[in-house]
Amino acid sequence: MIELSHLTKVYNDTAVVNDVNMEIEAGTITVIVGTSGSGKSTLLRMVNRLVEPTEGRVFLEGSDVSTMPPHELRRSIGYAIQNHGLFPHWTVARNIATVPMLLGWDRRKVDARVEELMELFQLDHGQFANRYPHELSGGQQQRVGVARAMAAKPALLLMDEPFGALDPIIRSKAQTDLKAIQRRTGTTILLVTHDMGEAVHLGDRIAVMDGGLLKQYAPAADILARPADAFVDDLIGSADRPFRYLTLGKVRAAVEPGDAEGAPLAADASLYEGLGELLWSGRDAAPVIDAAGAPVGRISLQGIAGRAARPK
Amino acid sequence: MKRDMIRTGTILRLLVFAALLAFLLAPDRFAGLLAPLTNNGAPAIYNQGTLLDLTLSHLVTVGLSTVAAAIVAIGLAIFVTRPAGAEFLALSRAIVNIGQTFPPVAVLALSVPIMGFGEGPTRMALFLYGLLPIFENTLVGLSTLPPAVVETASAMGMTGRQRLLKVELPLAMPLIIEGIRLSAVIGLATATIGSTVAAKGLGEVIVAGLLSNNLAFIVQGGVITGVLAVLISDGFEAVAHRMAKRRGATRQADPDGQQSGA
Repeated sequence: MIELSHLTKVYNDTAVVNDVNMEIEAGTITVIVGTSGSGKSTLLRMVNRLVEPTEGRVFLEGSDVSTMPPHELRRSIGYAIQNHGLFPHWTVARNIATVPMLLGWDRRKVDARVEELMELFQLDHGQFANRYPHELSGGQQQRVGVARAMAAKPALLLMDEPFGALDPIIRSKAQTDLKAIQRRTGTTILLVTHDMGEAVHLGDRIAVMDGGLLKQYAPAADILARPADAFVDDLIGSADRPFRYLTLGKVRAAVEPGDAEGAPLAADASLYEGLGELLWSGRDAAPVIDAAGAPVGRISLQGIAGRAARPK
Repeated sequence: MKRDMIRTGTILRLLVFAALLAFLLAPDRFAGLLAPLTNNGAPAIYNQGTLLDLTLSHLVTVGLSTVAAAIVAIGLAIFVTRPAGAEFLALSRAIVNIGQTFPPVAVLALSVPIMGFGEGPTRMALFLYGLLPIFENTLVGLSTLPPAVVETASAMGMTGRQRLLKVELPLAMPLIIEGIRLSAVIGLATATIGSTVAAKGLGEVIVAGLLSNNLAFIVQGGVITGVLAVLISDGFEAVAHRMAKRRGATRQADPDGQQSGA
């Protein structure tokens, strides 16, 4: 759905993005991860032409973005950034309505869409629609920013460190919510972050960038299991690697027959959460139940440990 | 407590305005008040034209030149903050600065031979003098917008024109209004010297008082001008403050003025 072909951006004789080739599948979350100055934001901004490439092309559904008028292209692509960039002189509702209004939607359709989005992002319409951004908390502002980006139902959403300004607890919830919303809407998301944990948590595929080069582009599990080079390895962090790996798997996958004592674990929980629960409660095993509450077997420390080891 | 102070201020201003209006509509009733300032039975109230007419024509002169200065200065500031006009920034600054440096009296003197006596030279002088505050404030307003907000406006698909009209100008508006306020207040005071080249205005009353050594004339001309300046200045300030407060720009300075939504 998106194809980046030999994409290069040169500033003052330095290539901040250097010959990057990527194909991004529709309906997935792709996370570009890298340190600051790796060129990840510049890469993202070339997709909606906030930055014009020095060389190379971006294709969206097969058509070259450089042939479309920039403002029309951008209205079809959602965009959310770290400091949300909400318009301070507009109410929450007016902010969310930005792109639909630019597209000339009919008033009633706009209002209905704003209400729908506010519900999706758990912002009470009656309470918040007429508030100004400065009257909201950081987490609420961030949700309004993402709601605004998704207002015109773009097939593609670009996000530049969208959770960077949030404190850890809110950030983790915002990530989980985004993933759930993405699964529901099927929006293709291209997200930039410096946080490998966030990348593993959110990304169907992860692209690692360093010094303008695309170092590795693979599913999250492959990145963790087979880092392409020392830089990718460093970014993952050797101590964290098995735990990051466990965040990718579900308890369901490690269920074994039998029974165990104590509080049950949900089959949908991640192996990482399962491990934490077992260690903290001092048990070797715990019963597992499905979403309906029916027992499906048990999970053991041994079983989890087997899945944290480097795949052969 | 703060709110009470604001309310007291508003009431005070309304009283002052009412007093001014009463004086302009029926100045003779106040003759007794000003009579002690006169000598040898001279008139206490200016009698070569009604004070109301002079005040209105003073305001029209200031209004017209401020509006003209605002249109030109804001237009110029918009132009030099666009990519196409960026290279003219230094030049426009220099030109606008000359307008401010050149003393209004000199502008009057120089423009009389060209424009003749009357309101024309005064309006020209006020216009030139009023450009700088509006230009500089608009420039600051447009060039210090939060970068994230301006970039998002483009990223949402606004054209350059939409971004200017929907985002940049509204956000810069409190500063622009502050510039217009400065120009209007400076203009209001400066317009009094227009009487030296026969412009109709409150300067006429003051000049007549100076020539005939009539303190009552000087006081009424001066006080009307001063009160007008204060009221107009306050009016602009109130508008700018409301705009800034709504979007939370004064939140830090005014912690009890806003409620947090979290």
